[in-house]
Amino acid sequence: MIVDILLQGLLMGGVYALIALGFVMVFKSSQILNLAYGQMIAIAAYFLYWLLTSIGVPTWLGILVLFVSGAALGFILERLFIRPLMGQSFLALLMVTLMLGILFQGIIVLVWGVESFSLPFTPSGMLKIGDWQVSPGASWAFLVSLVVFLLLTLVFRYTRVGLAMKVVAADNEVAQSLGMKVRQIFSLSWVISGFLAAVVGILVGIVWMVTPDVGDIVLGKGLPVLIVGGLNSVPGALFGGLIIGLVESLGGYWAAAVREIVPWVAMLVILLVRPYGLFGQKRIERI
Amino acid sequence: MLPSGRFSASPEQDMAIVRTKSQWLLLVGGLIFAATLVMYVPSAWQAWLIMLGIYAIAALGVHVMTGLCGQYSMGQAAFMAVGAYTTAILGTRYELSPWATLPLAGIVAGLAGLIFGMPALRIKGFYLVMSTIAAQFIILWSLREWSWAGGASGMPVPGITVGGVALDYVQYWWLTLALAVAMIFFAKNIQRTAIGRAFIAVRDNDLAAEVMGVNLFRTKLLAFFVGCFFAGIAGWLWAHFFLYISPNQFSFKTSLWLLGMIIIGGMGSTTGAVLGVVVIRFMDKMVDEVAPIVSAAVPNWSGQVAAALSLIVFAVVVIAFVMVEPRGLYHRLQRVILYYRLYPFSYQSRARGP
Repeated sequence: MIVDILLQGLLMGGVYALIALGFVMVFKSSQILNLAYGQMIAIAAYFLYWLLTSIGVPTWLGILVLFVSGAALGFILERLFIRPLMGQSFLALLMVTLMLGILFQGIIVLVWGVESFSLPFTPSGMLKIGDWQVSPGASWAFLVSLVVFLLLTLVFRYTRVGLAMKVVAADNEVAQSLGMKVRQIFSLSWVISGFLAAVVGILVGIVWMVTPDVGDIVLGKGLPVLIVGGLNSVPGALFGGLIIGLVESLGGYWAAAVREIVPWVAMLVILLVRPYGLFGQKRIERI
Repeated sequence: MLPSGRFSASPEQDMAIVRTKSQWLLLVGGLIFAATLVMYVPSAWQAWLIMLGIYAIAALGVHVMTGLCGQYSMGQAAFMAVGAYTTAILGTRYELSPWATLPLAGIVAGLAGLIFGMPALRIKGFYLVMSTIAAQFIILWSLREWSWAGGASGMPVPGITVGGVALDYVQYWWLTLALAVAMIFFAKNIQRTAIGRAFIAVRDNDLAAEVMGVNLFRTKLLAFFVGCFFAGIAGWLWAHFFLYISPNQFSFKTSLWLLGMIIIGGMGSTTGAVLGVVVIRFMDKMVDEVAPIVSAAVPNWSGQVAAALSLIVFAVVVIAFVMVEPRGLYHRLQRVILYYRLYPFSYQSRARGP
C-alpha cells in the first residue's frame, strides 16, 4: 500500500520535473521567470484536444502539429513581448508573462468554456508490476520526462549549441564578447520551452482531467519544484520534481486534505532556509 | 510643481498635501460629487461604487508595499480574506460590534502579513514574489480546511446596524467613502513621514539605505504590516457588504488584479493607485455590459463570454501599459497638468521633462 503510494508519487514527480524544466530553460539563459508557462501548457492540451476531436486529424499528426506550434508559440512570445523589455525591471517582465498567462486562460474560457476532458488516447485501468499497482498514464508520463531530461543533458554536453547555451547562462556579456549570438540563444531557449510546454500539455492531458483551471494547477506544482530544485539547475528540476512528488503523496497518505498544500509549505521552508534551492548556484542577491 | 510664479513661503506650505485653491476646490467638489452620485444611479452601479471603494483601499495596501517599499506582493487578496474572516468570526461567534472589529480586522491581517513578510529579510525579487504567492495559497487552504470557520462553504457575517436599522446601499457607500478617504489620507501622509522616506529609500537601493542607518528589518516588516492592514480594512468592508464570505471570493486572480491596478495607475503614487482602480473597475463593468452583445453575435463561443472577456481585456491593458507606458496613467496626467501650470513657459518643461 505505502509502496504503491510512494511509486505513484515518484511517477508524478517525473511530470512535475518536466514542468519545472520549462521554467529553468528560460530562467537559466535570460533570468526571466516565465509565469505564463502554466497556461501555455493548458492551451497546448486544449489545442491538441481540439485537433483530435473537432478537426479529426490522426493522433500522430496532431501531436506533430502540436510540437511545431508549441515551439512557434515560444518563438513568437519571445520576439513580441520579451525582447522589447530586455533590461527592464524584473517586475515588468514578471507582469508581462503573468498577464500573457491570464490572456491564454481568457482565450481558453472564451473558446472552450468550462469543458473538461482527458485526451482520447489516455490508457485506462491499472498497471501491475509484481505486487505493486501504478497508473499506466503516470508511468508513460514518467518515461517521457526521463527521455526528455536525458536528451537535454546530452544536448548540453555534446553539441555546440548546448555549450553556447551554457556559456550564455553563465554570463551574457562574456558570451556576447566571445562572439556568440546571445539573442539567438535567448530565442532558442524560448523555443525549447514552448516545445516542452507542448510535451507537458500531452502528459497533463493523460494524468489529469483538463479543466480551464489546469494552468493554475500546473503552475502550483511547477513553482515549488522550481524553488526546491533551484531556479537555474537542470538536475535540480529533476530531483526537485521527484522530491515534491514524494513529499506530496506522503502528505496525502497522512491526510488527504494536506496533499494540496504540501508543495507550497515545502517551498516556503526552502525559501527561508536555502533560498537558492537545493541544487541552485548561490548567485541570489542577498541584502 | 506649483503653478508658475507661486512659491512655498514656509515649511508648512512646502509639506502641505493640498497646495492650491483649485486643488481645494477640486477636492471638495469631488467629495460632494462622490457622496451624492450614489443617490442618482441604479442599484447595480451603487454596488459597483461600493466595490470600487473596497478595491481602492486594498490597492492602496499594495501601493504601500510595492509602490513605496518595493516589496512585491501577489497575495493581497489572502490578507483581505484574513481581515474578512476576523470580522466574521468575531462578529458571529463572539458577537462583537462591527466598530470594535474594524481595527481588529486590520491588525490581524497586518500580523498575518508580518508572518509571510519574514522571508523578505533574506530574499528579494522573484523569491519574495514566490513567498507571497505561497502566502495566498496557504492562507486560503487553511480557511477552506478550517471547519470551525465554515470551511469551504464559508460563514455569515452580521450586518452593520445603526439604531437597529440595517444600512442600505447609499449609506454603505457613505461609510465606504469615509473609510476610503481616511485610508487615502493615511497612505498619502505616510510618504511625508520619516518612515515613508525610509520605505522609498529601501525601494530605490536597500544596501544604500542600510548604510544610511535605515533599519531594513523593521522597515520591510512595517511595510508588510501597513500594506496588510489596508487589506484587513478592505476585508472588513467586503464582509459587511456581502454578509456572507467564503474562501473562493478571495482568489489569486484578485491579488493579480490589485497589482495590475497600481501598475496601470502608476507605481509609487497614491493618486495613481486610486486612478488605476477606477479605470480597471470601470473597464470591467463595461466588459460586463458588452459581453451579452458579443455572445449574441458569436453563438459558437461558450456561455462564459463575460468571464473570458474580462480576463482578456485586463491582460491586454496591463501588457500594453507595461510595454508602452510603464510609469502609468498618473505620469501622463501629470504631464498634462504641468503643461497648463507652466502655460506660457511650457516649452522649457517639455525640453527638460517633468
